[in-house]
Amino acid sequence: MLMFAVRRILVSIPVLIGITLILFVMLNVVPGDPIALMMKEHASPEVIARVREQMHLDDPMISRYFSFLWNAVQGDLGNSIKLNRPVTDLILKAFPNTLLLAVCAALVSWVVGIPAGILSAVRRDSFLDRFFMGFSLLGVSMPIFWSALLLQYVFAMKLKLLPVSGFYGWQYLVLPSIVLGWSSAGVIARLTRSSLLEVMRLDYIRTARAKGLRETGVITRHALKNALIPVVTIMAIQVAGLLSGAVITEAIFSIPGVGRITVSAISSRDMPLLQGAVLFATVLVILGNLVADILYSILDPRIRAQMRSEAS
Amino acid sequence: MTKKMKLLLASGLASLVLMSPALAENMLRISYPEDPKTADVQMTTDSYTLPLNIFDRLVESETTGPGVSALVPGLAEKWEISADGLTYTFHLRAGVKFHDGAVLKADDVVYTFDRMLNPATKALNTDILTFIAGAQERMDGKADSVSGLKALDDQTVQITLTQPYAAFLALLASPGASIYERAFTEKAGDQFGLTPETTNGTGPFILTDYTLNDSETLEANENYWRGRPKLDRLLIRVVSDSETLRMLFESDEIDVFDLDYAPTQTPYFYGSDQWKDQVRSGPRVGIYYYNINQLKKPFDDVRVRQAFQMAIDRQTILDKNFYGKGKLEDGVMPRGLACYMPATPIEYNPAKAKELLKEAGYPDGVEINLQQVSSWSTKWSDMNQIIQAQVAEAGFKANIVTTDEAAFLAARKVGEAEAYTQVWSADFNDPDNFFYTFFSESGTKTRGYNNNDPEVFAAIEKARGMTDQAERCKLYQDLTAQIVGKDAAWVPLFSLDHSYVVQPRVKNFTVPWNGWSDMNYYNVEVE
Repeated sequence: MLMFAVRRILVSIPVLIGITLILFVMLNVVPGDPIALMMKEHASPEVIARVREQMHLDDPMISRYFSFLWNAVQGDLGNSIKLNRPVTDLILKAFPNTLLLAVCAALVSWVVGIPAGILSAVRRDSFLDRFFMGFSLLGVSMPIFWSALLLQYVFAMKLKLLPVSGFYGWQYLVLPSIVLGWSSAGVIARLTRSSLLEVMRLDYIRTARAKGLRETGVITRHALKNALIPVVTIMAIQVAGLLSGAVITEAIFSIPGVGRITVSAISSRDMPLLQGAVLFATVLVILGNLVADILYSILDPRIRAQMRSEAS
Repeated sequence: MTKKMKLLLASGLASLVLMSPALAENMLRISYPEDPKTADVQMTTDSYTLPLNIFDRLVESETTGPGVSALVPGLAEKWEISADGLTYTFHLRAGVKFHDGAVLKADDVVYTFDRMLNPATKALNTDILTFIAGAQERMDGKADSVSGLKALDDQTVQITLTQPYAAFLALLASPGASIYERAFTEKAGDQFGLTPETTNGTGPFILTDYTLNDSETLEANENYWRGRPKLDRLLIRVVSDSETLRMLFESDEIDVFDLDYAPTQTPYFYGSDQWKDQVRSGPRVGIYYYNINQLKKPFDDVRVRQAFQMAIDRQTILDKNFYGKGKLEDGVMPRGLACYMPATPIEYNPAKAKELLKEAGYPDGVEINLQQVSSWSTKWSDMNQIIQAQVAEAGFKANIVTTDEAAFLAARKVGEAEAYTQVWSADFNDPDNFFYTFFSESGTKTRGYNNNDPEVFAAIEKARGMTDQAERCKLYQDLTAQIVGKDAAWVPLFSLDHSYVVQPRVKNFTVPWNGWSDMNYYNVEVE
């Protein structure tokens, strides 16, 4: 297992370098001078030229890329051009907020998604099944900005149960977590349902039933264990995605997380900050996949055996 | 109830109170769509709310009425200007204290301006100080100090200019000229203005909390030299989504709704019985204009330029695109600017425009290009589409050309820019900010007008040094007649109003003279 993890991490290094390179080239090709954008129409060309020089923005691309890489390896992602603060600081300060939101949203999606999927599978074609599947379809297909507005309107403006937006306590987390959790709950519910239905058709379930086990025991002890394998994989990847910043949710609910930083970096062409944010997201997604694989192997002995043979 | 339960309940309640932005206290809650990034005004050119409330300037621009302002003494109690207009002597107010308790001295002023010009600072706002003798040498790294900046004693600062510049006082009243404390700022280094601990000014409010991308809290400065502000606290939130902003406002979580950040809500608030009396509106000292490049055919011909001026139905654009909240402008100076006088109205007359085109040798009309930049707001492309249709009636076959900003700026630099529409808002209250920017020898080139009129160049230079304000204003009014009327080098469109909606408990809220969103909240009260 350890060997496997180490190997996976080593393999991801070229991925990281590749991504920084692509990003670097793209950001340099995309038009828009960060200094001119920062200073708007009123800046005189002399001032723009002077500041560009002071920030080494006129150095050749190659030399800027390698100095970025060299510093990044040492943990220094440079200073944000627009915010004038160390990129690492900015991301690490924003990350706890994103983490909190991601954990709450993930909890919502699991607590809602998995039971809904199980119930739908068990009571297939019943009203309950249709209701849950309709609910998850809605969650998956509704754009977040819309469901967010809807919930804000109903629960904050009309019923006045929760605050509209901000980040000053637990009550501020309820709506964004539901909005974000709802959309992933849909995926999880549908996946749980289909995967459980598939497993329920297998011979060992028939055997379990033939032994005279009660249906709940068959589902919880036998079927679910296998059915949840793909669900766990998706869950891990989803959490990684949530951690790299829920851009729209963070903007609508004014949550000072990583997503906000990324968006502002893009709109202001703040290259160091954007590189840092994307690098951070990449690492999270790679780690998410790694965790998914490891969970997979814990849940599924076949994979474990395969890994062992690969590692040796 | 057990002791433990009681404790839990109490702490729960306490945390609730702490967490929600409390209503009961004397606090004003406002919002901006973006984080201000820093309170250090030398490092920003677009977020002035923090500096305007945390610092003071030697001279202040005070709003005396809608769109009217006066230069009043700030940290400088009085000043003298030498007869040749080169030397400014400022006498500082005695006993002014910074938030950390230090007393303001002349050396702080010298330090502040030197810091701006010091290349190590990498300041963005240097434009306002370039008239000071020795400023260029300091910026170029050829000098360790600025020869034109001197502290004569603890209370007196002397500033010498390289050439007389009539707008210098107005520049010193702009946010960029905020005064810092030497010892504190030197110690804070490049962290100055980034956190409450590294921010210190003399202004009415003290920065006490700064959470990036979330909010800033400012508390009243009990020892403010003009007297403590009426507000106890100012909460500035970052709300980037306009729908969210409106809901925050309507559920009373925000006190001021700036319609600039959600212009489409204008008809709603103006039409709402609940809110229409709560709208506060004022003129904005900024002018929408159409640029025309005289190096580009057919705009080399004054008759074509006049025809273009006449072919645009500005009132329709103002009504359709900006809900009619503004006023047509006919000059270079918008209302509210010092020296403003209504200029000769430009009539909308497509028939006459057609006639002029015919005279200029284009009886069958003429092709022109209207430029827009992809990263600009859609309001510009919307305007271009309307204008394209409007000028067609006079015979202009307008093609809309969209490029990216880099290409646009590059083309403008070499005199190849196509006609484009933009807005210019006053950085400081002086006509020089408009005339020099667009029609001086350097400005007309870099801004893509190429109105190469030596008389205009000379007059603009002359006006910069004039000390008699009445005479100076007359010159600017004559220049307007020349540039807009005779040369038709400038196509003025309109200036807009800036509207806000405020909660009923907010009192004394006035739109600042320049119509900016960034303002000083010293006079605002809440009930």
